[in-house]
Amino acid sequence: MNLLGVLDISASALTAERQRAEVLASNLANAQTTQTAKGGPYQRQLVVFGTRKAARSTFANAFADFSDRYAQGVEVKRVVPDPTPAVQRFEPGHPDADNQGYVAYPAVDPIEEMVNLMGAARSYELNVAAVQATKNMISQSLQILS
Amino acid sequence: MSWIETPNIEKLSKYLDLAAFRQTLIASNLANVDTPGYRTRDIDFEGEMRRAEERVGSDAAPPRPFEVAGLMERPDGNNVNLDRESMLLARTQLQFRLGVELLRQEFQGISTAIKEGS
Repeated sequence: MNLLGVLDISASALTAERQRAEVLASNLANAQTTQTAKGGPYQRQLVVFGTRKAARSTFANAFADFSDRYAQGVEVKRVVPDPTPAVQRFEPGHPDADNQGYVAYPAVDPIEEMVNLMGAARSYELNVAAVQATKNMISQSLQILS
Repeated sequence: MSWIETPNIEKLSKYLDLAAFRQTLIASNLANVDTPGYRTRDIDFEGEMRRAEERVGSDAAPPRPFEVAGLMERPDGNNVNLDRESMLLARTQLQFRLGVELLRQEFQGISTAIKEGS
């Protein structure tokens, strides 16, 4: 059974959680953005996670064994825009106000984003703990011969 | 089985294999803690160990992972329980260490015999 492959699983989770944190940070940063490249207010982005078979080089494939079939990492499958309509606020003086004086703001709730960000940070920590545990096991297995 | 492979060594290597395989499943469960629809998977460690002991000498049968039943499911269909996985992570680590330690002593015994106790 391949303990080095276990590190790949945890690493995939670290990558995915980091990407999630990046998207959440950009949502937070653009909570008040009313002008974007494609026009209109910023649209909140959501990440969709899915399981992933560990990607293997042909070299590693030579050592692939039974346990690899059950190794399931994670990846960001898609980043989709949140379909929630923009929030209309009455600000007649604003340069982006429509002719009734309403400005369309992104439907970003900073509290919700912060909670999700904390979740991403915790999941990241959790997988770091799994990496540590696996690393310990690998270095212990080297002691069999000592 | 050659003279250098005692039955204990075979059992212990199976024990280590199982611990490493369980570690694969735990790492997968932890990696997918935020994946919608993911189901927790595990093996029956004692059962697999017993099965392996019955088959000592013959070809090893691969362990059979299953989806764990009776865990609380979140609305997105994911049922990974962090407390359960953290506990298993710690336990598997200790089991692995125990296996390594016992295996090491087994080899040391053989080594002592080779060197005639010197």
